[in-house]
Amino acid sequence: MIAALLAGLIFLSLFAGHLPPVWLAAVCLFAMVLFLLGSGHHHDGVLTMDVYARRSKLCKENAVFKTAVSVLLLILCICSGSPFLPIGLFVFLSVVTVAAGGIKLREYLSLLGLPAVFLLLSGLTLLWDFYQQLPSDAVLMIPFFGGWLAVVPAAQSLSMLVLSRALGAVSCLYFISLSTPLPEILQVLRCVHVPSVVVMLALLIYRYIFILLATFRNMKDSAASRLGYQGIKRSLHTTGMVYGGLLANSFKRAGACFDAMESRCYTGQMIFLTQKKKVTYKILCLLGFPVIGMLVGIWLL
Amino acid sequence: MTTGEKKLMSISVVLALMFCVPQTVSAMHIMEGYLPPAFCIGWGAVCLPFLAAGIIFIRRLVQQHRKSVLLLAMAGAFIFVISSLKIPSVTGSCSHMTGTGLGAILFGVPATSVLGVIVLLFQALLLAHGGITTLGANTFSMAVAGPLVTWGVYQIGKKCKLPKLFNVFLAAMLGDLFTYCITSVQLALAYPSAEGGIWASMAEFLAVFAPTQLPLAVIEGILTMLVVMGLETYAKTELHELHGAKRGLFK
Repeated sequence: MIAALLAGLIFLSLFAGHLPPVWLAAVCLFAMVLFLLGSGHHHDGVLTMDVYARRSKLCKENAVFKTAVSVLLLILCICSGSPFLPIGLFVFLSVVTVAAGGIKLREYLSLLGLPAVFLLLSGLTLLWDFYQQLPSDAVLMIPFFGGWLAVVPAAQSLSMLVLSRALGAVSCLYFISLSTPLPEILQVLRCVHVPSVVVMLALLIYRYIFILLATFRNMKDSAASRLGYQGIKRSLHTTGMVYGGLLANSFKRAGACFDAMESRCYTGQMIFLTQKKKVTYKILCLLGFPVIGMLVGIWLL
Repeated sequence: MTTGEKKLMSISVVLALMFCVPQTVSAMHIMEGYLPPAFCIGWGAVCLPFLAAGIIFIRRLVQQHRKSVLLLAMAGAFIFVISSLKIPSVTGSCSHMTGTGLGAILFGVPATSVLGVIVLLFQALLLAHGGITTLGANTFSMAVAGPLVTWGVYQIGKKCKLPKLFNVFLAAMLGDLFTYCITSVQLALAYPSAEGGIWASMAEFLAVFAPTQLPLAVIEGILTMLVVMGLETYAKTELHELHGAKRGLFK
């Protein structure tokens, strides 16, 4: 609700002075409705993105290629000097992720809501500035502590650029994390010679996350069934104790795990079986197009 | 309305807007694509020495004490899990812990910085908190600067013979606050305000994020204290093992 209001405010300050009042109101209302519909951030599945990635139709494609191109697109996106290129990229990659990847549109939109609060709050500071004297070209202003909080066209164009870049970059990030399971991305890190101890640690962490989450769910349910989350003070106390118990439990499990590995001839090296995947024409076309588009766009604009 | 009334009105509107920001509040990850390229590279470069030190530290630890890699992996997974879970908070928003303060107290700064960068990468890819281009900046604020302050405060408190639990609380809270200040500095450096420059812009970022971050820091302190309390009751042997391994390394 409040995010929707904030979104309306941001759009109002972003487009004030550029659009006629009727259009301005329409854009703001549209943004607010979008936020009201899109909100619904829930915590039931911490690893929803991982589930989507494994379910995606693009999961079968070569991970190294996907990661490399996404990173290239990311770099091109934040280097672009005009707001239109990143927005184009955002639209294209969102369509690819949803249509070619088979993620449901509603799920994708609710994921987009995650970074929205940061974007809205920081957009607010980029747009509104404090001035001693009211600037002559200000489009919106509020008196504030003897000075003025105002929006000027320069701030509007800067925020527009920053917001569009962030949007484009988020679509790149979502493309990769909604089409490639994390262990495959970690294998890519091994290819670019990230120290093996780090990759091993990361792979182990990924596996342990599932164990810890399952343990946590049990602990939380049993604490809740004993009325452990009644009132702020008691729920803080319970949360702390559950976390402490979880860490203690995880250390004990690490001990048991080590004994099991030791008995299976563990020598300090861990190698996981990986599947070989070829670069197909489909992914080549899907990702080649935005790269060429971005390169041409940056060169022209 | 008189001028005074107008002022009062506008302040109250701004305050109301600021204090009623619900939804997700994680410890201020700078989102993907928010920083210009030069800053992405710069902050990444600043982190490199810390990461190199951390990797060297972990490599040696693993060579001498093989079990410790599993303990570290568990700790990393723990940091990820608690940073992805909702914690009870006062304002009705759902917020998350950083957990790196706890790591700094238990394992020291170098190991925490490596665990931190892995956890931040996971958060970007699995939870969409933070991002790949802003990994450097986020690593510096959350996995280097925050833990450094936490560790420093904890050591000073130990020297001053503060009660242990209070010391843990103070260290974790200050570390969290420092993380938030550093993030504001990073944002302000990237986008200084037109009139007041970097300082004005920093003040703005600090003010906008303060209502969510200040209570969060206190809660983080309390929870870290409770976790350390729980650990000392249930996992004393494992803790000693880890400390023993660390001490053996620097003999």
